[in-house]
Amino acid sequence: MSDSEKWAWWAIGVVVLIIAAYGAFVAFLGHGPATSAVFALFALTAFPASSRRHLQGRTLDERERAIASKALRAGFSAFWVAFVGLVLAIGFIKGWDTTLTVPVWALEETLWWAATLVLGVQALTTILLYRGGPHA
Amino acid sequence: MPSPEPEIKNHIRRFRFDHGEMTQDQLAKQAGVTRHTIMALEAGKYFPSLLLAFRIARAFGAPVEQVFEYVEQIPDLPPR
Repeated sequence: MSDSEKWAWWAIGVVVLIIAAYGAFVAFLGHGPATSAVFALFALTAFPASSRRHLQGRTLDERERAIASKALRAGFSAFWVAFVGLVLAIGFIKGWDTTLTVPVWALEETLWWAATLVLGVQALTTILLYRGGPHA
Repeated sequence: MPSPEPEIKNHIRRFRFDHGEMTQDQLAKQAGVTRHTIMALEAGKYFPSLLLAFRIARAFGAPVEQVFEYVEQIPDLPPR
């Protein structure tokens, strides 16, 4: 298994851990600023040596670079779809001329969830492309 | 009806065999890629860049057109 695949499996594990920890935090402590602490788990993505090699691009050849590029594009495409969907949903549900007051922690959590989405889709796409399409 | 995509077939596995059972790892090192990429090439899951195709052909001391083959698939036309 290449470093990129190892990184992708590890990243999926981190995403699952974040979701599980977030759920546990909300269940036991309620929804509030403290739940944002869960996103510190993102630091785990750089923990294994294979991940660091992947992130530095040290061991990537042309096929792996192509896969990494497609996976990153898929991640940001998912982010873009979610972003547009969220904007439209807020507008239609709350009304386009409504004034909303959002706590800073909720805004920050939204950004963290966006990063989680990008990472998850990027890792998943990496694994799928390594499993092989004809042009992977 | 969409026409089938052309394919680039390769004879890497045969060339490795003809070169004293050269391992995928040895070829990968000579071509400057990982063994996984050689595996993907042999399985037809990846089409190499022109640069990589030349590097692999050079590793075998053969012209690139002997190692890689362009196959244009002509679609079956429906009967009139």
